[in-house]
Amino acid sequence: MRFRFCGDLDCPDWVLAEISTLAKISSVKLKLICAQVLRDLLGEPMEYEKILKLTSDAKLESGDVKATIAVLGFILSSAAKHNVDSESLSSELQQLGLPKEHASGLCRSYEEKQSSLQDSLRACSLRLSQLGLVRWRVDYTLSSSELQEVNEPLVHLTFNVQNRECGRTTAVSVTLSADKFRVLLAELKQAQTLMNTLL
Amino acid sequence: MLLVLSAEHRAHLGCLPRAGGAAVGELGRLALEQLRRGAAPRACEAAARKLDIGVDTIQHGVEGLTYLLTESSKLMISEIDFQDSIHVLGFSDELNKSLLQLYLDNRKEIRSILGELAPRLPSYHNLEWRLDVQLASRSLRQQIKPAVTMKLYLNQNEDQTAQVLQTDPATLLHLIQQLEQALGEMKTNHCRRIVRNMK
Repeated sequence: MRFRFCGDLDCPDWVLAEISTLAKISSVKLKLICAQVLRDLLGEPMEYEKILKLTSDAKLESGDVKATIAVLGFILSSAAKHNVDSESLSSELQQLGLPKEHASGLCRSYEEKQSSLQDSLRACSLRLSQLGLVRWRVDYTLSSSELQEVNEPLVHLTFNVQNRECGRTTAVSVTLSADKFRVLLAELKQAQTLMNTLL
Repeated sequence: MLLVLSAEHRAHLGCLPRAGGAAVGELGRLALEQLRRGAAPRACEAAARKLDIGVDTIQHGVEGLTYLLTESSKLMISEIDFQDSIHVLGFSDELNKSLLQLYLDNRKEIRSILGELAPRLPSYHNLEWRLDVQLASRSLRQQIKPAVTMKLYLNQNEDQTAQVLQTDPATLLHLIQQLEQALGEMKTNHCRRIVRNMK
C-alpha cells in the first residue's frame, strides 16, 4: 500500500508495529507528546521527563517510550518533507490503524507547525558552504618599486566562508583593480537580476 | 590442535605453581583486565605486594597467561587439546584444572575482543543529497542543466570523513542500475549455494 506521507512508498514495518503502541496512550496525552516531539524537531530542547510522566498512565516501558518518540518524529518530519496536508495525513494514519481521535489530535498539532517544520528542514538541507560576511577597503596606490607614480585605486575584499559541519570560518581575501572590480560588479548584478526573476 | 609453548613462555608461566592457588586466580583476573583494558602496571605492583612475589615475576606471569589465553581462544582449541598443551608445563592437576576453567569461562569474551582487532574499511554512515537545476552561468544564459549533489559521510575507526560528489541524472540512474544488479547477484544460484553452506 502506498502512502503519501512516506513519499508514495510502503510504510516501514517498524512504524506499523508502533501504531498499536500509540493507540495505548490517550488522545489528549498523545497531542501533548506530539507538541514535545515538534519542539525537538524544530531544534528546541525536548522535555523528556514530561513525556515520561504522560506515558506513565499507559504503563509503557522505557523502550516503548523511545519508540513512541521515534515514530512520532518520523511521521511528522516525513509528512512535512513530502508536503502532505493534515486531512490526508489523518486519513492515511487511520488506514494504518490509528484511532480517529488520536489521528485528528496528531494532525491538528502537525497543521499548526507545518510551515515552521518545513522552514527548519529547508535550513538544514545540504549546503556546501555559506557566505558569512563581506568586508571591503578601497586603497589608493601612490608609488611602487617598479613605477614611481602609480596613482591607481585598489579594492580589497574579504569573504568569510562558513563551513556548517565544522563550524569553521575561512577568510578568502582578494585584491582587485578598478576595472576588474567593475566587471565583477556588473556580472554579479546580472546574476542578481536573474535570481530576482525567479523569486 | 596443540599449542606449542616457547621456552620463554614456559619460563614466564613457571612462576604459577610457586604462587599457589589463590595467586593463580588473582593473576588470571589481571590477565583478563589486561586484555580488556590494556596493561595496568599499578595493579601488578599491588598484586606483587599482596602475594609477596617480585613485580617482574608477576608481570611475566600475567603476560604469559594473557598470551596463553589469546592463543587458545584464537585457535578455538578443545578442552582436551588445551589440557595436553599445558601438560607440558608439568603443573599440578589442580592448577591445570583452574587454568582450563579460566580458559573455558572467558573464551567467548576473548574471541569477541579479538574480533574487533581486524582492520576495517571505511563504512557508510550517512548520505545527504540535493537536486539543483543550473539556469544560467556567466558564459551562457537560458540553460536547463539538472544536477544531483551528494555528501557521503563515511566512518573509519571513529573518524568521520565527508566526500562531496556531483552527478547528472543520467549517471545517477546508471549508478542505481549497477547497484541493483550487484544486489541481484545475491539471488543467483551460485550465491545461494554458498550462503546455504555457510549457515
